[in-house]
This record gives sequence, C-alpha cells and structure tokens, in this order.
Amino acid sequence: MTPDALNRLVAQLSKLPGIGEKTAQRLAFHVLRSPPEYARNLSQALLEVVDKVRLCPRCFSLTDGPTDQPCGFCTDTRRDDKVLCVVEGIADELAIERTREFRGRYHVLHGVLSPLEGVGPDQLRIRELLVRLESGAIDEVIVATNPDVEGEATALYLVRLLRPMGIKVTRLAQGIPMGGDLEYADQATLARALAARRDLEPRVRVR
Amino acid sequence: MRLLELRCERFRNLDEVTLTPSPGATVAVGHNGAGKTNLLEALYYLATLKPLRASKLSELVRHGEASAKVTGRFLLSGAERELQVEIFEGSRAAYVDGKRAPSFDDYFGGVSVVAFTPDDLMVVKGSPEGRRAFLDRAVFNRFPAFLAESRAYAKALKSRNRLLKDQAPAAHLVAWDETLAKTGARLWTRRRALMGELQARAVEAFQRIGRTESGASFSYAPAKVELDFAAASEEALAQALQAALAARALRDLERGHTSVGPHVDDLELGLGGQSARAFASQGQARAIVLAWKVAEIENLHAASGVLPLLLLDDVSSELDPDRNAFLMAYLHDSGAQTLLTTTDPSLVKRAAGPQTVWLSVAGGKVTKGLP
Ligand SMILES: Nc1ncnc2c1ncn2[C@@H]1O[C@H](COP(=O)(O)OP(=O)(O)OP(=O)(O)O)[C@@H](O)[C@H]1O
Ligand SMILES: [Mg+2]
Ligand SMILES: [Zn+2]
Repeated sequence: MTPDALNRLVAQLSKLPGIGEKTAQRLAFHVLRSPPEYARNLSQALLEVVDKVRLCPRCFSLTDGPTDQPCGFCTDTRRDDKVLCVVEGIADELAIERTREFRGRYHVLHGVLSPLEGVGPDQLRIRELLVRLESGAIDEVIVATNPDVEGEATALYLVRLLRPMGIKVTRLAQGIPMGGDLEYADQATLARALAARRDLEPRVRVR
Repeated sequence: MRLLELRCERFRNLDEVTLTPSPGATVAVGHNGAGKTNLLEALYYLATLKPLRASKLSELVRHGEASAKVTGRFLLSGAERELQVEIFEGSRAAYVDGKRAPSFDDYFGGVSVVAFTPDDLMVVKGSPEGRRAFLDRAVFNRFPAFLAESRAYAKALKSRNRLLKDQAPAAHLVAWDETLAKTGARLWTRRRALMGELQARAVEAFQRIGRTESGASFSYAPAKVELDFAAASEEALAQALQAALAARALRDLERGHTSVGPHVDDLELGLGGQSARAFASQGQARAIVLAWKVAEIENLHAASGVLPLLLLDDVSSELDPDRNAFLMAYLHDSGAQTLLTTTDPSLVKRAAGPQTVWLSVAGGKVTKGLP
C-alpha cells in the first residue's frame, strides 16, 4: 500500500498536460528523494504563481506587480508610447521581445477570430484595445498575428476597425527567414516573399 | 524519379508485403476484390498524402488493427530517399529518411504521380464537384504547395459559412470575406496556371487518340464573377471575389452558405464546340479524359524534366479496344515507370516489355509472377 499523501501527489501531477500516470509517479518519487527544501520551494513557487501573477489591466500580458498596476512593459519609461504591437498570445509577445528590436508597447488579444471554435471579436481583448487607442497617444499599430487563416482574418478585422480612427496600421512582413536558405524556404513563403519583393533603389533613410 | 521498393503494413486488406517494382511496367493481376486497387492506393497515398478514393483515413487501416504504414524507397535526382507514412487514430504522420517531415515541401520534393482510375472516366458526364476534384488533383501534381493552399481556402470557407449560419455582425463577416477572397484568388491563379500549361497539350493529345472528327476543348473560368480572368493579377482576382462576396452577402446569409468562389466553379469540357457533358458519347467522353491524362504526364515531364510515376487502376477494361491500344502503346513508348492493375492480363500486354514485373493478388496476398 502506497501512502495516501503520495497517491494524492501522483493524482495531482498526472492532471498536468502531457503527463501520464507513470511519469507522475516518477516525478513524485523524485520529489520524495530530493532534500525537503526542494519540495518547499516548489510548493511556494506554485502558490506564488497563482497568488501573484495576473493579467496586466492595460496590455493583458502577465505581471506580478501590485494589483491594478500596469506591468513592466506598460510602465517602462524608455519604451515608445506611440507604437503598439498587437499579438495573439504571451508566447508571441516574448518572441518579439527576444529580438530586442521592438521598443514600443504591447497588447495581447488572448486568441484569434475562429468561427469554427466559437471565438468572435467579443471573446478577444479588442474592446480594451479600442479604449487604449482612444487615448490618442498611439500613432501606429503593428498587427503581429500569425500568418495562418485565422491570424490573417483577425488582422484584417483590426485593420478595418482601426484605419477609420486615423491610426496607421501595419502588418508584419512575411518572407524568407534570415539566415534561411532560399532553397529550403517552403513554397508558400517563397511565393509571398516574391509578391512582397522590394526594389533595391537607394532610398532616403527616414530617421 | 524511380520507385525502388514499396512496403505495405496493415494497409486495407493487404498482407504485409515488400515489392521491388519494375523500372517500366509492373502489373498486378487478380480477381475482383483481391486487393489490386488497395495496392495502388497504398502507393498513391504515400506519394500524395491524399486518399485515392473519397474516404476517411481510418478506412485505410486494416480492420482490427490500430495503425497502417506504407514505406517507399525512391531514387530522386540520383539520391536514394525513403518516404514513409503512418496512419493511426484517424490522422497521419509523414517521414523522410526516418525523420518527421517538417513541411509538405520537404516531403513531396521530387516525387510526382499521376493516377488514372475508372472514376476519372466518369468525370465528363459526372458532377461539377467531381470535375473540380479531377482538376485539383492535376493542379496539386504540378504545384505541391496547392495542398496547403486549398486547405487554407477550405478553412476560410467553413469559417465564413459558420458566420453566415450564426448571422454574425457585418464587421466580423467582412474580415472573413477578405480572407476568403485572398485564399480563393490563390486557388484561381493556380488553376489558371495549370490550365494555361495543359490546354494545348490536351487538345493535341485528343487529336492523336483519334477516331473523332471534332476537336476537344478544355477550359476553366470562375463562375458568377465579372472579370477578365486570363489577364487579372492575383490581387485583382482577390478584389473581384471580395466584391462578389459582398454583392451576394444577403443571399448567402439567407441560405447559410457561400455561393461564389473556387468551390463552385466548373471545368468546362467541350467536343466540337458543344458541351461534352451534354453531347459526347461514352467513348468520346473517355477519350477526353485519356487526352487530359496524357497531357498531364507530358506537362509534368516538360516542367520538371522528370516523368511522373503512373498508376492505372483497371482502366483498360473501361476503354474500347482502339483507345486501350493507344494508351498501352503510349505507356510503352513513354518509358515512364507504371503500376497497372487488371483482372485480365491480355488487356495490358501491349504496355508490357521484357522488364515487366507481373504480380498476382489474391485475398490480400501479393506474390511475384502471373497467377
Ligand atoms: N480497411 C480494410 N481492412 C480489411 N479489408 C479491407 C479494408 N478496406 C477494404 N478492404 C477489402 O479489400 C477488398 C477490396 O480490395 P480492392 O478494392 O483492392 O479490390 P480489387 O482487387 O481492386 O477488385 P476489383 O477488381 O473489383 O476492382 C474488399 O474485399 C474489401 O472488403
Ligand atoms: Mg479495383
Ligand atoms: Zn501591461
């Protein structure tokens, strides 16, 4: 007979995505064999994540700051208030942030339009986006949804909504990945990159 | 391109089998229900990831088994590559040289097949839906990216239809109109490109097949849309489709489905200036399809420098003796690698040569040699 406490831990662990009964058992034994501080630290980290991490009331990315306070992205004074990047989810925001190229603000939609899954504009953080834009401080919105059918429809929806407000709306360019070999690019990407080709005439650089 | 070896495991009624096909013709002979079409279908599915017969993927798995697997060793531009597809729980996984294929393009690189089945012969007199599927198989053979593109269109179409049924607000619907128009315009340009290459070849092939005074015609244009299809840019096509969708929005809302776009178009087949669907005889209708297939083979050859692998499922029994003789002589002379199935070996003798590999199929068991 295994102790009830151990059974309870295994049961909880096996509720995690991608974790079956066997793996849950292995993890539980690992916790049991480790020094007791490990279990304490783990349980504290678990509690903190649910107690402290919330959605930012302005951009809807994650934050652990004080309640009702905007997140670090929103309060960082070195960031540009005039440019706003709209993303589908937190993972996309982090991917863009990793480039260190973007210094504007973010807005996380938490999904894309998907009639087949019952997701319409009301299920996304679009109304909140409009409220932010009404403040008037934003000149450009970069729509960085994924280039699949749903991401495309969401982008087109936003473009139609925002252009009449006199806001410049841009879409991430699609094309050959940098460092990627032309010969390995998939045909759809190559076709899009061809369609969006640009000339190499020297241009006046706008700074 | 050449198929060096084919292996089927738990595929339909077939016993596990590893085959070494001929570089020329391989002929599978057997009674009705033996498993000949299943063998051909295994190879077709491996090469296209599309089922040959309209069916659920799970139908490809042998009754009582959980998964099926088809593996082929190909010689592609001098290099040997192994393609493998596994079907389980209603979905499939594709592998190249033992590794999960990261994209369709990696998977399809270099492999092309043209299948010719008795269903194809019915296409002229059949439904517009059948003709669209017939056309799209040819488009896909020529432009493998079309598989992903037509899936994107299908998803956009399903999404829009759902919004129509739900009576969604106009602002939401319009965003999907535009998405549908963009993905639809891509399908139009693909079909137009294929037709541009194929038309003249098919007309000429029909003359070669002979026995008919009047000429055949093959054409395709979007239905219910005002535009100069031949000249319009992809962007102009998207705009035209979007305008047509907007113009039909009320009617579409009433009916709950989308009434214009690549999914309602038809492939127009003609004979002597008249509709072949309405006026061609059975034999003439079959000759039109035969001409199309010959044109498809020659076009793929011209475009890529490689002859596609040809799969002919019991076609000879459906053709009259003269047209069958033409086809068999054509296969023989083309030098293409071919897999044929038949219940009667005498029908395909003219396609055979000294290299021909004969296979017997009985009760799902494939063995070398004539029965
Ligand atoms: N998933 C499956 N598992 C087992 N048997 C199957 C499966 N799918 C089809 N079959 C069987 O395969 C047989 C049909 O094989 P196939 O269509 O290849 O015949 P064929 O040799 O082409 O015959 P014909 O000359 O009539 O065209 C049928 O008996 C059918 O029941
Ligand atoms: Mg058959
Ligand atoms: Zn924030």
